Amino acid sequence: MGLQACASTPTRNIVGTAGAALAKPRLAPMRVTLDQLIDVKCCIRPLRAAGPNLGTEMVGDTLVVHNYGHGGSGWSLSWGSAEIAVGKALSVLPKEIAVIGCGIVGLTAAVVAQRAGLKVTIYAREMLPRTRSFRASGSFTPDARVALLEPAGPNFPALWEQMTRLSWKTFRTYLGVPGNPVEFSDSYQVSDKPIERRTYPRDPAITDSYATKGVPLQSAEFAHLSSRIRDIVPQAVPLSPEENPFRTPYATRASQMHFNFASYGHLLTSEFFERGGSFVMRDFHTPGEVATLKEKVVIHSTGYAARDLWKDRTIIPVRGQTGWLVPQPDANYGVRYNNVSLLSKSDGVVVMNNNPDMGDMLGVGNSMELPVRADIEAGLQMMAPLFAPPAAARTS
Amino acid sequence: MMRAAQATLGLSALLAIGVMSGALYSAPAPAASAAATKGLTTASGVYSAAQAEEGARLYAVRCAMCHGQMLEGTMETPALKGKFIANWARSPLGHLFEYVSEAMPQFAPGSLAPAENAAIIAFLLRENGMRTGNSPLPSDSEALKTITFMPDGAPN
Repeated sequence: MGLQACASTPTRNIVGTAGAALAKPRLAPMRVTLDQLIDVKCCIRPLRAAGPNLGTEMVGDTLVVHNYGHGGSGWSLSWGSAEIAVGKALSVLPKEIAVIGCGIVGLTAAVVAQRAGLKVTIYAREMLPRTRSFRASGSFTPDARVALLEPAGPNFPALWEQMTRLSWKTFRTYLGVPGNPVEFSDSYQVSDKPIERRTYPRDPAITDSYATKGVPLQSAEFAHLSSRIRDIVPQAVPLSPEENPFRTPYATRASQMHFNFASYGHLLTSEFFERGGSFVMRDFHTPGEVATLKEKVVIHSTGYAARDLWKDRTIIPVRGQTGWLVPQPDANYGVRYNNVSLLSKSDGVVVMNNNPDMGDMLGVGNSMELPVRADIEAGLQMMAPLFAPPAAARTS
Repeated sequence: MMRAAQATLGLSALLAIGVMSGALYSAPAPAASAAATKGLTTASGVYSAAQAEEGARLYAVRCAMCHGQMLEGTMETPALKGKFIANWARSPLGHLFEYVSEAMPQFAPGSLAPAENAAIIAFLLRENGMRTGNSPLPSDSEALKTITFMPDGAPN
């Protein structure tokens, strides 16, 4: 294993051989030593069994349009979800609305409402970036623990597809914008064994389910919907040994869209204020408090916090953790090897150490939001041989 | 649940919200048509169930390929829910009828008969939560200009 560094060429720290330049990309190795680790972040995904709540209700004289509970797909669905929520708000002809919550879902809804001509005030405890959204990994993952198939019902897949397609097209409008708020890069999966697509068939030994226990008990309960968008989202392709820039015998490559939090958040926040948006720092403690706002149409986007604010106990915490290395713009790719993935982004190289055997059950029901640095350190150590010089790799 | 809420909320409640907030509705357009004086709106039950059903059938074959099975629209094609209401609210329904008659379907504008366009509009009203009445919508624009496009209750 390890990158096939070609020591006999002048570009000794560039992977690949000149003769196969057309086939084999020349990748700079990533520095994965512990001294590069500058942050470990943890956050809870708000998995809602029935999928995101996009329903409406009256609280006193105030119309509340819900827009929360997007699981691990808040970023990915943000534009499509905003379109639905803002559409519902518009249908009662407001001139001004409130948005509660300023994570990526709330802020995006606020901007979409402004683009539709509404005056918008955001009420929230914190603004982006001090929200859970900023502790995500920031890849386009529209069906990452977004719903449980059965509780979500037969209409959810089409609704999900609608949100996903609109989001995808909107993210494309940010490609090439200065600061690269949205970007594509090559994402490799490398392995010592043949790479097969993991499936998680229903385990008949597990007879309980969300219906009986209130939490999912196996991966097969989750909604897996990505096959609906195969026509637009690049799929992984197997690489021949001549195309594989790593020394592992097996590799696949996919083009992966990701979001660079710093520039994206800055851009969206700037648009909100340039369009005359107001931000009011405010904490809500009961649903009834929304009726005290002067705006009589409110989009509710508090994410995981809706579990307590709106007493929505169908929100299931799903813990996730990322480590962040010093940005490495020369190594502009992603790679997954065994349990560990690395993705080079403008704001750092994101490291995840997730056991794939757990499938979608990883972190489910875990609301411990403190990071565990040791897991990231262990992941980095697992990746080290991949980037070691050939001699070191042989002896390791 | 929203259906029930909608039934109890109704237009009067929604108007009450507007009065209380002073923000939800702006004043009716000054060029108020006869509709405004008569107070007939799309929330008054201005189409029949059978007409909306016929509209659903027509929509599926003439409109859905662009506007979507669920009227959801796309990045390029407008949705026929949500913002659609904001775009047409307070206008005489005849304006929508004339637009649809002349501009739609985009690949064959003006190819639908007046009764077909009226049925499609009845379907759009139904899908946007506006109540069903006993008589069908008329299929001439002058008659439709006596009806004001206004939402009926909270969104579903």
